[in-house]
Amino acid sequence: MSESISAYLSAQDYSCEIAENFAAAIHKTEYNSYDCILLDIGLPDGNGLKILEQLKEDKKADGVLIISAKNSLDDKITGLNLGADDYLPKPFHLSELNARVAAIIRRKNFEGNSLIEVDELVIDTQKKSVYVNGNPLELTKKEFELLLYFVANKKRLISKDAIAEHLWGNDANGSFDFIYTHIKNLRKKLLDAGGHDYIKSVYGMGYKFAPQ
Amino acid sequence: MKLLAKYNRVNIPITIGILLISSVAYYFILHYVLVHQLDKDLTIEQEEIFHHIGETGSLPEASDYRDQRISFAPVKEVDFKSKFSTEDSFDKMEGEVETFRRLDFPVNVKGHLYLATVKKSQQETEDLIRLILTITLSVIAFLLVLLFIANRVLLGKLWRPFNNTLDQLKRFNVSSKNKMHLQATDIDEFAQLNLTAVSMTEKVKNDYESLKSFTENASHEIQTPLAIIKTKIELLSQSENLDETQMNALQSLNEAATRLSKLNQALLLLTKIENSQFVQTEQVNLSSVMLCYVENLEELARTKNILITKHIKPDRFVEMNDSLAEILVSNVIINAIRHNRTNGNIEIDLDEKALTISNTGAEPSKPTSEFFERFRKGASSGDSLGLGLSIVKKICDRYNFPVSYNYADGIHSVKIEL
Repeated sequence: MSESISAYLSAQDYSCEIAENFAAAIHKTEYNSYDCILLDIGLPDGNGLKILEQLKEDKKADGVLIISAKNSLDDKITGLNLGADDYLPKPFHLSELNARVAAIIRRKNFEGNSLIEVDELVIDTQKKSVYVNGNPLELTKKEFELLLYFVANKKRLISKDAIAEHLWGNDANGSFDFIYTHIKNLRKKLLDAGGHDYIKSVYGMGYKFAPQ
Repeated sequence: MKLLAKYNRVNIPITIGILLISSVAYYFILHYVLVHQLDKDLTIEQEEIFHHIGETGSLPEASDYRDQRISFAPVKEVDFKSKFSTEDSFDKMEGEVETFRRLDFPVNVKGHLYLATVKKSQQETEDLIRLILTITLSVIAFLLVLLFIANRVLLGKLWRPFNNTLDQLKRFNVSSKNKMHLQATDIDEFAQLNLTAVSMTEKVKNDYESLKSFTENASHEIQTPLAIIKTKIELLSQSENLDETQMNALQSLNEAATRLSKLNQALLLLTKIENSQFVQTEQVNLSSVMLCYVENLEELARTKNILITKHIKPDRFVEMNDSLAEILVSNVIINAIRHNRTNGNIEIDLDEKALTISNTGAEPSKPTSEFFERFRKGASSGDSLGLGLSIVKKICDRYNFPVSYNYADGIHSVKIEL
C-alpha cells in the first residue's frame, strides 16, 4: 500500500520516504521535518496517533494527514483534535489522497498566497475563483472543486468513480452519468473563456488534465 | 385472555350454578323439615284432644285463634285415621290469604262420630324459610364477592415475579450491555423460568456478540485487500503505454472493485445501525442538515435538469445521532434524484410532523413496500446498490419513526413521521 502511494506521489514530483513501522516513524519524524506526513493509525507495532501526539509535543509544523482503516468517527475526531490537518478513511483513491496532500502543503507553505497558476489559468483557492487570461470565470461550486481536483492531479488519469466520490462523497454510489455533464460544462466554460481544452477523456476509464 | 379472566370464566358460572342448585335443594329440605315439625305439633294437638275426650267424655271447645284453629263437625263415616294437608284460607283479621297446615281425624264421642280439624298457620314457617334463605344467600353472595376480590389480589401477588420477568424479557435488547435483574422468588416454577430466561438471554447475547464481531472483522478484512486492488488499478491505469482493450479491462476491474467496496461499506453501515453502534444522540437541527444537503446536491440534480422545491420549517430539531441524520437525509435526497426522470421534480417538505420527499419517476414494477428490503431495485435504478432505502428504513426503525413509501400518479414519495 505504502509503495503504491509513494509511486503515485513520486510521479507528482514529491519526494517520498516510507516508514514501515512505529519505531521507524518516530525516528524519522524526530530527525527530519516533512511538508506532509501520511499517518496510518493502524501500525503493526503501535497506534499512529501516538506519533501525532509526539509531533505536537515537539511543536513540529509538519502537515499530518491521517489514514485509517476504521471508518470510525472516533478516530476522526481524536485525530483532528490532536492537530491533524485532514482525515482520509480507507479505501481511498490515490488521486483523492494526492489532492488532499496538495491542499495541506498549499496551506502550510503558501500562507497568504493561495494562487495556483497553470498556463493561462489562475486559481485562487481562498476566494474560490478562477481567472482565464486574467478574466474571471464563473464556475459553480462543484465545477470549481472539479477543476481544483484536476489541477492537483495534473497529467494523471482520474477514474470516474474517484471524481464522483470527490464531488459527492461516499453517498453518490452508482451511476456516473452526471460526471459526464459536469465535465462537459467545465470544458465548455474553459473553452468559451479562451482557455485550452485541457480535459481529455481516456477511453471509458476516466479523465486526464493535460496542460499544454 | 388473562389467566385470571380465563380462570374466572370457568369458575364463576360453575360456582353460580352449584349455588343455584344447592339453594333450591336447601329450600326444599328446609321446607320439608319445618313442615314436618308443624305436623308433629298438630299430632300433639291431636293427642291432647284424644286425651281430653278420654278424661271428660266430651269434645273440647272449638277454638279459633290466629295461629291455631280447632273445629269439629259431625260426620257419618270417615275412611281414614288421620290426614295431613296444606290449604290456603282467608284470614279475616289480617285481611289476607294465609297458608295453613291442617290435620283431619275422626273422633268418637259417646257413639257420635265427628271429624276433628286442627289447623296451624304455616305462614310463620314460610316466613322463617324465606328469612333463613335470604340470610344464607346473602352470606354466600358476600363470600363469593370477597373470594373473587381476594383471588384477584392474591393471584396478582403470586404472579408478580412472572410479570416482572416478562417485563424484563420484553425490554431485552441483544445489543445492550446491561444484564437482566430478575426478582428473586420462592415459587419453584417462576424461579426455574427466571433461571432459564437468564441463561437463554446470556446465550443469545454471546451468540450475537460473536456474530457481530465476525461481521465487523470480515468487513474490515475485506476492506484492506479491496483497497490494495483499487490502488493498484489506479496506479496501473497511469501507465502511458496501455491500449484500449487493456484500458477497458482495467475499467471493468475498477468498476467491480468499486462496487464491491461500496457494497461492503453499505452493509457494514447497516450492521452498525442494527447493532446500535450509533449510541450518542443529540438534538439535531434536521432543517439545517436538510438545507445543507439540498444545497450540496442541487448541482447533481441540475445535471438531470431536476427542479427541487422545498418547504422546510426552520429549526426542526430531532433527537438522534448526527451522523445517522446526515446519512438519512443524503440517502433520501440521492434516492429522489437517482430514480427521477430528466426534467423531473423533487418536493421536500419538513414540518413538525413529518419529512416527506416526493419525486417524479417511472411507475414501479414492484409493490412499493418492497423498496425498503435489501437489494430490491426498481427497473430504472441502473447500477445502484439497492441498499439506500433499506439504510433509511433501518435508521427510522432505530428511532421509531414510521416510514412509508407511496406511489400515485407518477409521484413517488417517502414519508418519515418524526
